[in-house]
Amino acid sequence: MGKITGFMEFERIKEGYKPVTERLKNYKEFVIGLDDKQAKDQSARCMDCGTPFCNSGCPVNNIIPDFNDLVYQGDWKTAIDVLHSTNNFPEFTGRICPAPCEAACTLNYNDDAVGIKSIEHAIIDRAWSEGWVTPQLPKHKTGKKVAVVGSGPAGMAAAQQLARVGHDVTLFEKNDRIGGLLRYGIPDFKMEKSHIDRRAEQLQAEGVTIRTGVLVGEMPKGTKVTNWAKESITPEQLKKEFDAVLLTGGSEQSRDLPAPGRDLAGIHFAMEFLPQQNKVNAGDKLKDQLRADGKHVVVIGGGDTGSDCVGTSTRHGAAHVTQFEVMPMPPEHENKSLVWPYWPLKLRTSSSHDESAEKGLLQREFAISTKEFVGEKGQVAGVKTVRVEWKDGKMVEVAGSEEVIKADLVLLAMGFVNPVATLLDGFAVDKDARGNAKASTEAAGGYATNVPKVFAAGDVRRGQSLVVWAIREGRQAARAVDEFLMGVSDLPR
Amino acid sequence: MMRKCHLNTCPVGVATQDPALRKKFSGKPEHVVNYFFFIAEEVRQIMAQLGIKKFDDMIGRADLLDMRQGIEHWKASGLDFSRLLAVPQVADDVPRFHVDVQDHGLEKALDQKLIEKSKPAIERGEKVQFMEVARNVNRSVGAMLSGAVTKVHPQGLPDDTIRIQLEGTGGQSFGAFLCNGITLYLIGDANDYTGKGLSGGRIVVRPSIDFRGDAINNIIVGNTAMYGATLGEAFFAGVAGERFAVRLSGASAVIEGTGDHGCEYMTGGTVAVLGKTGRNFAAGMSGGIAYVYDEDGQFATRCNTAMVSLEKVLTAAEQETAVPKPVWHRDQSDEAQLKKLLEDHHRWTGSKRARDLLDNWSTARAKFVKVFPNEYKRALGEIHAAKTAKTAAPAKAKKAVAAAK
Repeated sequence: MGKITGFMEFERIKEGYKPVTERLKNYKEFVIGLDDKQAKDQSARCMDCGTPFCNSGCPVNNIIPDFNDLVYQGDWKTAIDVLHSTNNFPEFTGRICPAPCEAACTLNYNDDAVGIKSIEHAIIDRAWSEGWVTPQLPKHKTGKKVAVVGSGPAGMAAAQQLARVGHDVTLFEKNDRIGGLLRYGIPDFKMEKSHIDRRAEQLQAEGVTIRTGVLVGEMPKGTKVTNWAKESITPEQLKKEFDAVLLTGGSEQSRDLPAPGRDLAGIHFAMEFLPQQNKVNAGDKLKDQLRADGKHVVVIGGGDTGSDCVGTSTRHGAAHVTQFEVMPMPPEHENKSLVWPYWPLKLRTSSSHDESAEKGLLQREFAISTKEFVGEKGQVAGVKTVRVEWKDGKMVEVAGSEEVIKADLVLLAMGFVNPVATLLDGFAVDKDARGNAKASTEAAGGYATNVPKVFAAGDVRRGQSLVVWAIREGRQAARAVDEFLMGVSDLPR
Repeated sequence: MMRKCHLNTCPVGVATQDPALRKKFSGKPEHVVNYFFFIAEEVRQIMAQLGIKKFDDMIGRADLLDMRQGIEHWKASGLDFSRLLAVPQVADDVPRFHVDVQDHGLEKALDQKLIEKSKPAIERGEKVQFMEVARNVNRSVGAMLSGAVTKVHPQGLPDDTIRIQLEGTGGQSFGAFLCNGITLYLIGDANDYTGKGLSGGRIVVRPSIDFRGDAINNIIVGNTAMYGATLGEAFFAGVAGERFAVRLSGASAVIEGTGDHGCEYMTGGTVAVLGKTGRNFAAGMSGGIAYVYDEDGQFATRCNTAMVSLEKVLTAAEQETAVPKPVWHRDQSDEAQLKKLLEDHHRWTGSKRARDLLDNWSTARAKFVKVFPNEYKRALGEIHAAKTAKTAAPAKAKKAVAAAK
């Protein structure tokens, strides 16, 4: 432990943000990471608990007390080694992870948690700038071929782990660039895409073949799931060509809101809206980009995707943004003795909310439900809503509380229900009750589906979740695949 | 979960003395009560599931314990508790739990005899003197006698009212908690914990008449002698085992050599060591004084000086000029106290070493080292300052009254 009394001496500091007016002009990241002195002080706050809850609170089990100490000692090189030993892509999680580790931090029980995420961010940014992140080539090749289908964080992590133990990995992506939701879901202002490009180069140097624009199987007709594939390959072909197939296609099917008027123009899934902006940011030309300029935007869904829609709409220059959340407004501060060290339910206000509110554009509504979309000449003009109350876990409408809210653009950000069924059906993979690929996470036989040599990991198996869970599943599934191919595996679980 | 109890940084204010952190403690006694209710309730549930009515019926039922399967952890794999959980093959009538009362044989204790013979002293305060045989099976000799005396005389008896001469080997805790007015004079040797919690009495242990060795090279009492002794004095004409005078808290003791960790955690009282000590002397010592005869000049290497300073034993005259009065141990000069201890030691035990030192006093004194705990020195100064402030204030007030008149 760096400094025994550090937590008593130093306050937690938040990473700095660039001013709102400046950051709204573009789609660049605006978080200013910790400098050396700040990182040293922040890591000194770690108490090196006998039982570090952060370590088990973190889905990839980052060895947090150790890297905190190393940062305090100024040994950044070893710190990145420790961090990389459990997490393939700390620059992703250091930017966009909600940090369940900090919720679990013992200091969070009656004080402010150690700034674990900001320290992680500082370590990996330093490592990249020092040139410490290099390809880790396998000592020998196994001659086994593995197809990883879907290039989100689960697929990338799995591909990297498998390549590092010598398998010939091909990473398939139906869109034009790898990254999945990281690439086309998360706005650039939260995470710039150069981070993914750098990892793509590392993956290729480590021997991974990346095939973008290739759809595995087929998409259902009329799907709204973003698909820019130019060619396709059948599951049979894949199974024939590869010794193992790992499905990491995510949970792409957005939850719909089948209220009257859903067919009106101007009602879209968030996952139609957000990918287009990211593609434009990447320099691609896109005709008829879905934009919010001068519009009254209603975002339905109070989660992170909704917040990303708020931030993107604000940057587009929307006239006004209203965000709906069907649940009542949670408390600003959780009851720590009740929930610690678990993830608390509390009001979360993102940087997108802050900047939009600062511009006087944002209205957040809680305990509100959509009854109908109203329109004129086939174009949406408003959303008819009703206030709701929750009684014994059941939603009850409040009589006489109907109201029409003006809307030129409605974005549905209510989460994802399950993977696109045709992908799983194409492989004849069994589904669980929620429509996800059925596979366990057991030490033996984990991540294997009912179909021989076909595995599944990430959101496609567990349902919509965090990037950090995807990385965990990718890593664990890589071990399962390696064990299946070789009989034994040295990859970590 | 923190495991930082030793660092004074407990973040929830439990294991810390830091006032800022202690403020964070939010526990209440009722929480503990609640907790135990929950435990009791859960125990009842488990007992009901097992079909057991009484707690006694569960004792020794190792056959009901099992290893939980399915804990997937590298530490758990490879554990086999079957031998730990094995139930011994015994007949059904062999009891599984406490069904008998222990017999300590107190009615046969040597102290019963001592109390009987000390009756004139206990009842009428008369002086008594008698002899007994000491055997190592007699534990805590003098403790029950002290109890009997204290029942009638809560402050004890005048010095030396009861003098008991014993011959042989004193058992464990010989002279434990001995009260005012009792002298145990043992010719022979004694076991561990001799003089434990000494509370005003006197213990003398001198070698057997048949002993032909050199007292300063031979053990006479066992380990942890004088543990936590608060009052009284003890003279041992020989060497003690480990941890001599550990936690000594006010009594005086003379010894002719010690094992390791002498005067550990000592908080008060006076110790004179007339021979060699073991290592780690005075570890954690915060009060009282030890005078150590440093014949080979190497004592400093055997002393733990984390909390103590080593000083010279000055002559009374030198001390008068060189050392401020407030930091004098017991308001007396070191020379006077040490000399008195040696004289008493010689008088009680006939110690040859004490005689030699007294006969060559000026050389001997110069070789004594005074072990002075830093905290004790600070406290002496503060106590003195507080006292003078108290006495000065009324004096000033009187003067003011006089002036007004």
